[in-house]
Amino acid sequence: MDFAGAYTPDNIKFLLEGFWVTIQVAFVSIILSFIIGGLVGIIRYAKVPVLSQILAMIVETVRNLPLLLIIFFTYFALPEVRIKLEIIPAAIVALTIFESAMLSEVIRSGLKSVDKGQMEAARSSGLSYVQALIHIILPQALRRMVPPIVSQFISLLKDTSLAVVISLPELTHHGQIIYGQSQKFLIPILILVALMYFVVNYSLSIVAQRLELKRT
Amino acid sequence: MIVFDQVNKYYGDFHVLKNINLTINKGEVVVVIGPSGSGKSTLLRCINRLETISEGSLSVNGLNVADKKTDINKLRRNIGMVFQHFHLYPHKTVLENIMLAPKKVLGQTDAEAKKIAQKYLEKVGIADKANSFPSQLSGGQQQRVAIARGLAMGPEIMLFDEPTSALDPEMIGEVLDVMKALAHEGMTMVVVTHEMGFAREVADRIVFMDEGKVLEEAIPAEFYANPREERARLFLSRILNH
Repeated sequence: MDFAGAYTPDNIKFLLEGFWVTIQVAFVSIILSFIIGGLVGIIRYAKVPVLSQILAMIVETVRNLPLLLIIFFTYFALPEVRIKLEIIPAAIVALTIFESAMLSEVIRSGLKSVDKGQMEAARSSGLSYVQALIHIILPQALRRMVPPIVSQFISLLKDTSLAVVISLPELTHHGQIIYGQSQKFLIPILILVALMYFVVNYSLSIVAQRLELKRT
Repeated sequence: MIVFDQVNKYYGDFHVLKNINLTINKGEVVVVIGPSGSGKSTLLRCINRLETISEGSLSVNGLNVADKKTDINKLRRNIGMVFQHFHLYPHKTVLENIMLAPKKVLGQTDAEAKKIAQKYLEKVGIADKANSFPSQLSGGQQQRVAIARGLAMGPEIMLFDEPTSALDPEMIGEVLDVMKALAHEGMTMVVVTHEMGFAREVADRIVFMDEGKVLEEAIPAEFYANPREERARLFLSRILNH
């Protein structure tokens, strides 16, 4: 084990560059999957005819596939049908598809957890379904959904490492490049890579805990 | 004002409401009583289409409730509803609970809605709780807020679905007092309740239901002194002599 040799300024800078890609890819995927997952969750909660059945099928399919397969699909299979995505977009698309499906379930069950009487009270006062959803159901559901949504975000951030298979220049991939140079770097680099993931994800879960405490 | 004509309702094979014929006039206070599972709440919930009827016709203020073309939101503005479990919005203050529908549905400004909300909070005797959250109130206070919330829309009809059944015994009185005051002002009210004292004192008419049917309709004095139906007699003896 050669800690000094592994932790040179150049190597650390290289790892941080990889980490920056991880963060960017995760951030864009989180935003996109929150929007898409939110819409899908709401449409399925509202039982919009036809559309919600179609979405249910898609969600169930995606949720039951390994993310790795979806990444292979967006990067290697799509070009076969003339949709060519660069590595970063391919990774973002794959993560977004997968996490949207997961988040839509979190959001749907959050909406469902709001007492039925809330909708009845709102509707019986003359509010439309959409108004009741916006003013009564969603705000209550969102508060309850903070912890599961954040934990979904954390798993998304970790899942970016799977994109190593399409050589996404993210943290895990850059780590591999460094310890590929020498077996002696393997443990030091893996420790540092682990530390980087841990710091960011742990901070996220602390933020989530704070948010949860605030509301009780 | 509210007319049930040969109304039937089924939940799958279960026949919940059987051939209901019932007319409720403007300014009348009708109390619906009967054993649990007799269809009282379902009957009430049909009036503002929280439940849909399967057969027959039901009109409120001349509007056909069952007709898909009827603007249900418009109809509901005119019908306040109070639930057994209050259903206040827990993420909003008392004032916001009351102001929401007048602002969003009637388009009142913040100032207008606030003024009206405060007026009704005073009426139900809890003006000092305007900025509290529902969780900080007792059950009786919450139910009074729910009544104020219903009244703030200026409805012509108020529906009460077992409004005191979830309350501690010592809080029942304060809610019933508000309802009595409302009845004396001439509000059209349909009340599902087990409060026999309230029914006797306030109701213009008692409707007794059992197994989905309206078995008896009578003025309270008559109903309590001499119920015509055997089932009503049994029900009364059980509920009054325990």
